Amino acid sequence: MMTNKTVICLVVFTVAVLFQGIQIYGTGECMAQSHLDSEEPSEKIQDSSEQEFPVPLKPLSKTISPCRACHGPEKDFPVNFKRREDLLAHTNIKLNHGGVRLWCLDCHSPDNRNFLLPLSDGKAIDFERSYLLCGKCHGTKYRDWKYGIHGKRTGSWNGVKNYYLCVTCHDPHSPRFKPMAPMPPPEKPWTPKDSAQPKRW
Amino acid sequence: MSEEKIKAPDPISELKVSSDPEPSQDSTEGSELINRRGFVQGTVGMLAAMALGSCSWQEFFQNNFRRMTKEEIEQTVERLQAEYKQKYGKDFVVDAEGPIDGTFYGYALDIQRCIGCRKCVYACVEENNQSRDPQIQYIRVLRFKDGDMDLEHSTIYYDPEEVPEKGYYYLPVQCQHCENPPCTKVCPVQATWTEPDGIVVIDYNWCIGCRYCMAACPYMGRWFNFADPVIPPDKINVNTHYLGNRPRMRNVVEKCTFCIQRVRKGRYPACVEACPVGARKFGNLLDPNSEISRIIQTKRVFRLKSELNTQPKFYYFFSI
Repeated sequence: MMTNKTVICLVVFTVAVLFQGIQIYGTGECMAQSHLDSEEPSEKIQDSSEQEFPVPLKPLSKTISPCRACHGPEKDFPVNFKRREDLLAHTNIKLNHGGVRLWCLDCHSPDNRNFLLPLSDGKAIDFERSYLLCGKCHGTKYRDWKYGIHGKRTGSWNGVKNYYLCVTCHDPHSPRFKPMAPMPPPEKPWTPKDSAQPKRW
Repeated sequence: MSEEKIKAPDPISELKVSSDPEPSQDSTEGSELINRRGFVQGTVGMLAAMALGSCSWQEFFQNNFRRMTKEEIEQTVERLQAEYKQKYGKDFVVDAEGPIDGTFYGYALDIQRCIGCRKCVYACVEENNQSRDPQIQYIRVLRFKDGDMDLEHSTIYYDPEEVPEKGYYYLPVQCQHCENPPCTKVCPVQATWTEPDGIVVIDYNWCIGCRYCMAACPYMGRWFNFADPVIPPDKINVNTHYLGNRPRMRNVVEKCTFCIQRVRKGRYPACVEACPVGARKFGNLLDPNSEISRIIQTKRVFRLKSELNTQPKFYYFFSI
């Protein structure tokens, strides 16, 4: 009898938690995720993602996309789960994310390289919504980003905003923000000291 | 001795007295009459010169922006647009839009993200038609040594090859748009005031250039046009606002207006859009879900020189 009650309690609790989760994530995002089982992301997903987080995303270069051309069922390269320093392909990538702890397949799905690893619901994430995967480790940053505290937004403060994705600013393979040259400093105002300078002795 | 001096014959006053048909008892009265006439003639001549010169009658008798009627504002805007067209050869849009209902602007800057690249400074210069020579820049980026918060130890003239530099942090300062602004209180002609949406603005045509406001501002947020502003003709921003980035004249004070010409149309200020690290945040303080409200609710924030009770609406925050 006791065990039955606890089971019922647990079920009710889980349902409540799930419902809460759905409310937090918003219905639009969950709708989009349900479409992700298909190989190619459909038009509908792109539309809904644009409504949610309109982002300009750099397209992948044609030499490495689509991923399934090499990592596909036709030409199946062996799946390697061990970290190596020298890559045979993708030589331009210097993996410098999380020290030596991370490897390609900690983010890229080993089964289907067109997608990233799934969240706990088991549905793969496409590259347009990589921020969901980033949020798995960087949860506090993801929360701040959703509210517009972390990261850059352009557009309208009271209307449609352009959200910059995590990967727009941080290269996921080497995420530290790159230093840049500063713009010129302001002119120094003239002071009597200026003309006196050459006379120093 | 003193009586002798007064009674001493004055050839000029005698001449005037003799030429005047009306007999005058004292020599001083005659000279006063001449002076008054001369004064009236001089004034008329000066006003005529003004009307023919750089300043038009309408400009000379233009009212304070807050006292203008709608028609007067429309006339002024038309006149200004024609004036700028003649001067710069471009079609200007001079807005005089009022505040959006239910808005009160606030600004936040993440000092742990700022890398001191000065991109905001130059975006601001281009957006707000600031003079390039003499140089006017509304934003100053201060560089501090890590652990030091003394403004006296900071510098704005740093120029390394790459930023951010190790061991330093950066703190950009501009007009803080205080809720209790010392600058508007000291203005003797009320040419500067706080708008209902919280933006501190200047009516450039009403400003007399006394620079009391600059002395009163503890943040060095105001700038004076010591000479005629020089702007490259191809870099002029033609989308302007009367209280914001319309071209200024010599001898007036100017300052950051949160890009009033942009934010009153719902856009972000230029510095927010220019920041490459997304350290600058802008929004409506009255909206509890806006970025700025979330930052004040959830992050550690501080305001510059809060001990002065100026109550800035410009918050600095720590994101980590």
